Amino acid sequence: MESSTRMLDHGTPPERFARGWHCLGLADSFRDGTPHRVEAFGGQLVVWEDTQGNLNVLDGYCRHMGGDLTQGTVKGDEIACPFHDWRWGGDGKCKQIPYARRVPLRARTQRYPVVIRNDQLLVWHDVEGSEPDLEILPPVLPGLDEGLYTPWTWEVVPITDSHCRELIDNVVDMAHFYYVHFSFPTSFRNVFEGTVATQYMESKGRPDKAGGYGSPDLFLKSEATYFGPAYMINWLEVDYKGFETEVVLINCHIPTGPDSFTLQYGITVKKPEGIDDDTAAYISKKYAKMFGEGFLQDVHIWKNKVPVQNPLLCEEDGPVYQLRRWYEQFYVDRADVQPEMVDRFEFEVDTTKANEYWQEEVAENLRLRAEQEASGEAPEGADDAENPQIMSGT
Amino acid sequence: MPSFVPTSADTLEDQRLYTSARLVEVACLDCLARVGVKKNSEHHTSIQWTAEARGHCPELNRRTGGRDFQPACRRLVASIEAAARDGQVPIGAEDGY
Repeated sequence: MESSTRMLDHGTPPERFARGWHCLGLADSFRDGTPHRVEAFGGQLVVWEDTQGNLNVLDGYCRHMGGDLTQGTVKGDEIACPFHDWRWGGDGKCKQIPYARRVPLRARTQRYPVVIRNDQLLVWHDVEGSEPDLEILPPVLPGLDEGLYTPWTWEVVPITDSHCRELIDNVVDMAHFYYVHFSFPTSFRNVFEGTVATQYMESKGRPDKAGGYGSPDLFLKSEATYFGPAYMINWLEVDYKGFETEVVLINCHIPTGPDSFTLQYGITVKKPEGIDDDTAAYISKKYAKMFGEGFLQDVHIWKNKVPVQNPLLCEEDGPVYQLRRWYEQFYVDRADVQPEMVDRFEFEVDTTKANEYWQEEVAENLRLRAEQEASGEAPEGADDAENPQIMSGT
Repeated sequence: MPSFVPTSADTLEDQRLYTSARLVEVACLDCLARVGVKKNSEHHTSIQWTAEARGHCPELNRRTGGRDFQPACRRLVASIEAAARDGQVPIGAEDGY
């Protein structure tokens, strides 16, 4: 082999799961008096609501003989193991062993500190066992509690054969929005600082892949911010033929194993004035479907690609290395976080050349389609009607 | 397949090229901040701050967090544009970096 041949460095997997806040789902979905199982951090968690209305999260296996607490029963404020009825409290302590004279002093299990934020249940995870850092929680969405937004639509998608960093990489990946999600990114910027990483993007739909929301009349202004390693808020201003909608997309995930994670995404739409709640909820569902399909487009790529630690970049690519440097802070001990991982970094991609080329390509596709239609053949891309034309953040 | 830690020494050199090569120091015209700047084209800009520079920027320090925390400081952007006009920041990329 020639020495100038570029080799892919697949790297080795990280030996831990990221430090930070992770969203387990909509808080209300856990409030039914039964224990819930959430696969997370290489194992499983048990989630239940106590009589005070608090949500509690513990490691899913009983410290006595390893019984599966998610198959247990909520008794009073505690979760009772199905194996021998040991009762565990939300503080991680065993409160009662009904058949025993006393509870061993060492009967403490792993508990996960929780916060309810924007109607969602967030847990703090840190292999070093630190206190939860409330300073770096995702912000409260204004107007949500005041009823200005539609109820969340919420989807859960298990992803196998991919490390969750593949999802993170999309924050800087300008060109994939054209190829994978069929939109033109016309403006693309990134800012990373501390535990926060943002993508600012303006884009419009590709007319050659039209259908659904796809249209040259569709413009999108997107601001997508990761607050920590696993929770993104994506503020979207959608302009379709002059009709503006404000959409908030939550894109979050829970790592489940060394090459698997659970993707969750939620959508809420600011209720447009003069539109009734049912119609607003319908619009919200439409967007949820569109973004759901967008994620599946990503998943197909992830499942078939190989990991690459040494991406080869061109001038039109985003700052992959800087983003990964930022992301690495969540995988090292607090004491080992380096200044360059958290120092502010700003980047603006020049999309001029890319858009010149893409406009030509799309024009050619439209010309070919018109030709085919004129000759009576089924136009290529007619089955693209289901494809979402706008995608952002990921 | 999982990934993370480089297994090749060349990867470390790639990391250096893409994150720190060609950065030119630019001083803000309005405060004491000095940042590393790279421009692959007239419209492309890469800005690397340090904690020290960040501490000097009154505009960013005024921000309260949440959503308005991230946008660029307009004064620094203007300073970088001026430096590029003066030829202090070379415009154009090497081999993709």
